[in-house]
Amino acid sequence: MNLIQKALAQGHHTLNEFASKQFLAAYGIPVSREALVRTEAEAVAAAERIGYPVALKACSARLPHKSEAGAVALHLEGPEAVRREMGRVARAVHVPLDGFLIQEMVAGQRELVAGLSRDPQFGPCVMLGLGGVMAEVFRDTAFRVAPFDRAEALDMIGELRSRALLGAFRGQAPADPQVLVRILLALGRIGLENDRIAEIDINPIIVTPSGAATAVDALIVLQEK
Amino acid sequence: MAPRDNPLEIIANPRHIAIFGASNSESAMGTGILRAILDFGFPGPVYPVHPREETVLELKAYPEVATIPEAADLAFIVLPTRIVAETLDACGRRGIRRAVIVSAGFNEVGGDGGTRQSELIEVAGRHGIRFIGPNCIGVFNARARLNATYMPFEGRPGYIGIASQSGSFLTQMFGYLEKRFGQSFSTGFSLGNEADIDLVDCLAYLGEDPQTRVIGLYIESIRRGRLFIETARAVARRKPIVAYYAGGSETGRRACLSHTGALAGPDRLYDGVLRQSGILRARSIPELFDFCQVLGGVPPANGSRAIIQTHSGGPGAAAADACGRGGIELPRLCPETLAKLAPFVAHTASCNNPIDLTFSKNPLDYFHAIPKILLEDPAADGLIVYVLAYARMVERGLAGLGVPPDQIPEQTRQVIADQCRALASLGPAFQKPVIGFSFLTRENPFVAGLQDLGMPVLAGPERAAAAFGALAQYRRLREKLLGAADADARPQEN
Repeated sequence: MNLIQKALAQGHHTLNEFASKQFLAAYGIPVSREALVRTEAEAVAAAERIGYPVALKACSARLPHKSEAGAVALHLEGPEAVRREMGRVARAVHVPLDGFLIQEMVAGQRELVAGLSRDPQFGPCVMLGLGGVMAEVFRDTAFRVAPFDRAEALDMIGELRSRALLGAFRGQAPADPQVLVRILLALGRIGLENDRIAEIDINPIIVTPSGAATAVDALIVLQEK
Repeated sequence: MAPRDNPLEIIANPRHIAIFGASNSESAMGTGILRAILDFGFPGPVYPVHPREETVLELKAYPEVATIPEAADLAFIVLPTRIVAETLDACGRRGIRRAVIVSAGFNEVGGDGGTRQSELIEVAGRHGIRFIGPNCIGVFNARARLNATYMPFEGRPGYIGIASQSGSFLTQMFGYLEKRFGQSFSTGFSLGNEADIDLVDCLAYLGEDPQTRVIGLYIESIRRGRLFIETARAVARRKPIVAYYAGGSETGRRACLSHTGALAGPDRLYDGVLRQSGILRARSIPELFDFCQVLGGVPPANGSRAIIQTHSGGPGAAAADACGRGGIELPRLCPETLAKLAPFVAHTASCNNPIDLTFSKNPLDYFHAIPKILLEDPAADGLIVYVLAYARMVERGLAGLGVPPDQIPEQTRQVIADQCRALASLGPAFQKPVIGFSFLTRENPFVAGLQDLGMPVLAGPERAAAAFGALAQYRRLREKLLGAADADARPQEN
């Protein structure tokens, strides 16, 4: 049974972050290294494996807005911090959890958002936009209707007003356009192949100083037929 | 889609027409449409159907459609809402297979309107009728002498094909294009509620129409989204398409809903859809028609570098500013060009770009020798020219040369015609775009003369710059589409 059918069978309307990213990764979208854990021992072991600093997040299909719920702890530098924050998050969150995510901290100041939505006239539409705290101020987004080709995906990146951010920027390497293109094409394919997916929100995609791009948080929203 | 299979082929080129709703009352909408059809000289028979009149506008009238002499290629229905469906049904029984339904009172009014529109679709489906409307204003085809649009048409045939979800941007543009630019339409469709035929059909038809060199779209909502994109991408490889979209803001969206019952989408989505479709987006109605006349009227630009020619500093600087904002480069002239220009320019002139001649040693050089030298410069992808000259200047010049007063009017006309011909021929000769701009109108013989010879003269520097930008943008869009076509032809990667 695949991730979508499993979530629907359990009466969920979203995939949790871990499942969302597993799904996206299967389509070739680069996602942060992470592990789903249940106990403190598992958490510390995962953090050692991934390497400090790590992020810790409550993981639940019923928790689409994690930060607001106090369910996120960032930049944890060692096992004590992991244990402490795991306890704090467990007390702060009041929905049933699928576990905790231990996640690499992806370094980078350049943030993008990408997503999928469905338009009644056009069907699956892929969005790319400027991310980060200023995203809602600048509202810099570009859309394409799936399916579209590599040239359209590149044109979409060029359509962003803040595209200069993706060039060589303040000593950081240009964002690898091929990775961004791969993400955009994959989102289009997901939209065409999975009619149970209503919406995808990848926020943020972090562009690292070396120009790589990684999906650090993601949410897949499902729909009944 | 092959043009023969397109339902618009017959609608735009009917051999005979039946019209419902025309009478001898000049105030009736149907009468206005019949009047327009007759005034423009439609060559085929027109059969008015009227329950009581023996003749309508001196044509023999028929009491019902069953009695007209032949199954007309096209029916115009301009009747009260409640009898439209039964009339369409009667047309179907008479063997009529195409209709334009002008009557309103359907989806756009909400309530029972939706049911009435569904009824039209059902009746049409039963008879195999394809129709435009309801709630539209008609069809125009210059070459077929078909002006079934209510508004009189007095211009020459043009090269702009238009499909509009508002009748106004077909009919009310007749005068606008003619009086301001000496331009007009090749073919036009007012689509109304798009219960059957829609923008996609129009794009496919206008894409194949040899009289149409550029396609303009007024859009409130795109209904068959995927097919629209695919059709436009195929057409835009060989013919530019320009669109104005009115539904992107919340206020625009509400207006569109009550106008044609259209469900408009978010502005940024339509930005992407149009760009993906290879369509240029115009930001205003004047810009829509500026872009259309330039894209359809001048050779394509090979890049985005323009030279600005002026003899007045301000208009040249305003054009330069607009070019800079629009991403159009103003290259420096190469040394050979400067050397060639030297004998023609005054010491007060600036040969940086803009080329500001301040005044001309010989005013006639402005129309030929100078722009020719500028177009020879390999750095120029095109030329933007300020147009300011008066017949009075020519008259004074001729008087100064000792031309007898009685010969001055005729010689003035001759000089102006020669000058316009000289300038207007340069773009086609060099295969580079030449765009004029002026604050004068067609009352000025230079403006009208250039426009009538096919050189666009737009109403202001920023509009000329924007149109030049549209040429450069079309080039990029087309290259993107052609690149994609090449990739389609290659075996798939991975």
